Amino acid sequence: MRSYWFGDVDDEGCTRADGDADALAARLASIRIQPGEIIPADWKLAVDCGAARDRADYLGRLREVCMRVARDRVAAGLGGKDTELVRMVLALEEIDESMNQLTERLTDWYRVRHPEAGRKYRPRDSRRVLAAIAGDAEGPVKDLLDGILSLRGIRSRLAAEIGDRAAVLLPNCSALTGGLVAARLMTLAGGVSALARLPASSIQVLGARGALFSHLTRGTPPPKHGIIFQHLRVHNAPRDARGKVARVLAGRLAIAARIDENRGTLDPGFIGEADRLIGAAGGRR
Amino acid sequence: MIWIGNTLVSAGEPGVYGERVLSGHRVWDPYRSKLAALYHLGKGVEITGSTRVLYLGAAHGTTVSHVSDYAEVVYAVEIAPLPMQDLLDVAGRRGNIIPVMADAAHPEEYAPVVEEVDLVFQDVASPLQAEIAIRNRSFLSRDGRFILVVKTRSIDTTARPETVEGEVIRALLPHFTILDSTWLSPFHRDHVAFICKR
Repeated sequence: MRSYWFGDVDDEGCTRADGDADALAARLASIRIQPGEIIPADWKLAVDCGAARDRADYLGRLREVCMRVARDRVAAGLGGKDTELVRMVLALEEIDESMNQLTERLTDWYRVRHPEAGRKYRPRDSRRVLAAIAGDAEGPVKDLLDGILSLRGIRSRLAAEIGDRAAVLLPNCSALTGGLVAARLMTLAGGVSALARLPASSIQVLGARGALFSHLTRGTPPPKHGIIFQHLRVHNAPRDARGKVARVLAGRLAIAARIDENRGTLDPGFIGEADRLIGAAGGRR
Repeated sequence: MIWIGNTLVSAGEPGVYGERVLSGHRVWDPYRSKLAALYHLGKGVEITGSTRVLYLGAAHGTTVSHVSDYAEVVYAVEIAPLPMQDLLDVAGRRGNIIPVMADAAHPEEYAPVVEEVDLVFQDVASPLQAEIAIRNRSFLSRDGRFILVVKTRSIDTTARPETVEGEVIRALLPHFTILDSTWLSPFHRDHVAFICKR
């Protein structure tokens, strides 16, 4: 027997599926076909079993059912609790990028107007540069500076909100890495359930895609860590222990993500043990 | 296909995505649409009022809207929710677009709704592009054409585009007769279109 949106077809003929577009849409969701056994639909069969009057009627009804299914799936796809958090993380990254770019432009601009400014406007710390420029900025320079400072405010409020939401959505991952890193990992994985399905080895290198592929295709050294490098325990570990810390942390994160996905509550026992293991990996006892 | 001078257009209700309008016809820009580029290069497949089309990777429905101006029916497959929102808008205003929210790599998901078609157009960004084409071959009629647009950079960013082209041809050959392969320059960089039949 072959199932189509309009009914079931076998050697005897076609049996019409009853109901309105809603019922047909629900039925469609339950039809399973094996990958190797695709036989395209045939509108004439639908007419034979009375599901449609003619070709125009067939297409009209099919379109209505498909629109309904697609609308439901769009709603489901956007309705996940993690969907908005993903958008927030992406916005945060865009703001960071913009702030850096604008700060660099502003610094260069300021130095053109103040040839004597010299090296002190070239330190790495953008806060100090901006503070120095703020001293005597005026006109458009001042406007741009204010814009950057306002972006900074937006950024810190957004980051705090992301942290709060991650603590709810990913309580165990957030306890291990902090909410921001947990939210970034979730975004890179493509959602909470996608993160929960990743092996630890993939979590370890999330965010190091370029390095990973150049390792696979060109044999460069494999990446030790991706985004989890941003976590202090990896970042601050001695160089030769970083890979190990990243590996142990990723291993715990893989479990934490599964607890978050399936249980959704903080497990203090698990976190305590994980902290101990990660600390030991960094050489602390 | 309808040409006004050297401009490819389609006859339908304008104002779908801010396209230009020329003598009441919608301009189909080869720099935005890979299928339009193919027509400009003289390699497109004629679409008429009786053509049934399966469009894989429909995205926001801009090219789909032009195809629907010509074709009898377009089955438009797209997996991502945000583009599908836009596609649903387009489909809502055109009676012959059937939106299918599914993964083109898993045609068994939409086999219960899609019929045999005269033209399959595939434009998906995936390293598995050739494999996806092979899996969708069942929908192609005996005399139908399968147009596969490959962005060589999404298969391998480091390899030369010509190397990737060779790999795709080798993967397709056991399943398709390849009638033509065309680079879409100058309209699109590093994109190659294969026109196949089963």
